[in-house]
Amino acid sequence: MRRLALSLTAAGALALAAPRAAHAVPCDQVPGLSNPVYLQVGDTQLSLMKRLGRAMRDNAARPVSMIFTTSGSCTNIRAIYDRTPIAAGTNVQYVPSIAENPTWDPATSPTLTCQVPTGGKVPDVANSALFGSACTTETPPATVHHARGPVQAYVMAVPKASSQTAITFEEAYFVFGFGMAGMAAPWVDESQLFIRTVTKSTLLAWAANISVPADKWKGIRRDGSSMVVADLESSTSPEKALGILGAEVYDGRRSTLKSLAFQARGQWAAYWPDSTPTSFDKKNVRDGHYTVWSPTIWMDSEAGGAPVNADARYIVDLIAGRTVAPAPSFEVIAVIAAVGLTPDCAMGVTRGFEGGPLSRYTPPESCTCKYESLVDTSSCATCTTTCAAGVCRNGFCEVR
Amino acid sequence: MPTTRKMRALLFGLALASAAACGGDGGARPHDAGVDAGGPPDAPCSENPQTHAEIINACTTAQKIIKKPTLPLLNQDGSLPPLPP
Repeated sequence: MRRLALSLTAAGALALAAPRAAHAVPCDQVPGLSNPVYLQVGDTQLSLMKRLGRAMRDNAARPVSMIFTTSGSCTNIRAIYDRTPIAAGTNVQYVPSIAENPTWDPATSPTLTCQVPTGGKVPDVANSALFGSACTTETPPATVHHARGPVQAYVMAVPKASSQTAITFEEAYFVFGFGMAGMAAPWVDESQLFIRTVTKSTLLAWAANISVPADKWKGIRRDGSSMVVADLESSTSPEKALGILGAEVYDGRRSTLKSLAFQARGQWAAYWPDSTPTSFDKKNVRDGHYTVWSPTIWMDSEAGGAPVNADARYIVDLIAGRTVAPAPSFEVIAVIAAVGLTPDCAMGVTRGFEGGPLSRYTPPESCTCKYESLVDTSSCATCTTTCAAGVCRNGFCEVR
Repeated sequence: MPTTRKMRALLFGLALASAAACGGDGGARPHDAGVDAGGPPDAPCSENPQTHAEIINACTTAQKIIKKPTLPLLNQDGSLPPLPP
């Protein structure tokens, strides 16, 4: 767990840093960048792209070069629905293989940059960090394949110097729906409310959870998570400052920020995503005590029921926790846990739409024991092949 | 130990176990604007949650915050006024 905390903190320190952009050349002219897959993802997924990108470059059985750019979830959905290309010349990011740079660390090293080649490139994979229905109610094109990936939690964060520890649904409604007029002390200064633009999952997820439509929010709208982080860290009124972030972005900034426990409508107490303010176990996300989360959705194109780009589908299936062939040379669940996301197979609750009611959920193939061993400690029995009760998977006796 | 004392001890033990399962505040409650320093008595938690309301209020050992903020615009019946246009 300590290793995970350090990893997340280090990731946060540099994951938001600008990629190394000097001498960017067209991606198709970068030596060694074989089997390229272009991804357009939410900026909350940057840490996942770096860590998974590194693993995929060195995935001996099936090496893939993940080339990615970040944008709002709703923009990403439109890009793959409408087949909107990433413009030629756009700087996009990738990571080096071990052979290219053995000391490169996904938690601390910047990404590398190349340019989208002539003609542009429709993303092979698009990601939204929330239910697609929060962006559009149109029926998805038959040519777009959807997979539900790990769960993404969202937090309200304050500077470390703030004395605040919790916010209720009603407070959040007045703070962000009314601004200064809401008189919800201490958050009564709209210049100290740091929010996101209306295509961003962080705002849309929170909007659905506090009953304030995204376009009605009061505060300073920022395009990137890194800007909200900077606003909070540099605030000269820490008691009044309040921002919204993806939980994994916050997890990497715990040395300078605090997240607030959230009390949902009809809830009797406020809870953090984790069982304590200092843990990383996402226990309250997994059991339903923390309600502000969305599944990540991963989309790739298909034709006649088959993937257009088999490498793209391989990545989507990996992220979604499906069995792939050939098996990867790394543990996908470890990658997901390390970047602060929660695999669906470790969830005990589910929902059908953004901010919708929670219901109990039993994943078809549970990985709760394994996940807990990565983010905390597991009390499950270990195994090699069989278990007295349950199923032996990933070295643990899972419930099913 | 007389039977009544045994019963009393048993009931006291059960009450303690129940309180722990419902996740007290884990000792010192952090200072927080609007937090009720004394805290209201714990609402009953659900041991076998099925509905949304039961799930979000299920018994847990997780750390929690009890907060009763002062919100001047809240309607007297606890409902929310509509958002400004």
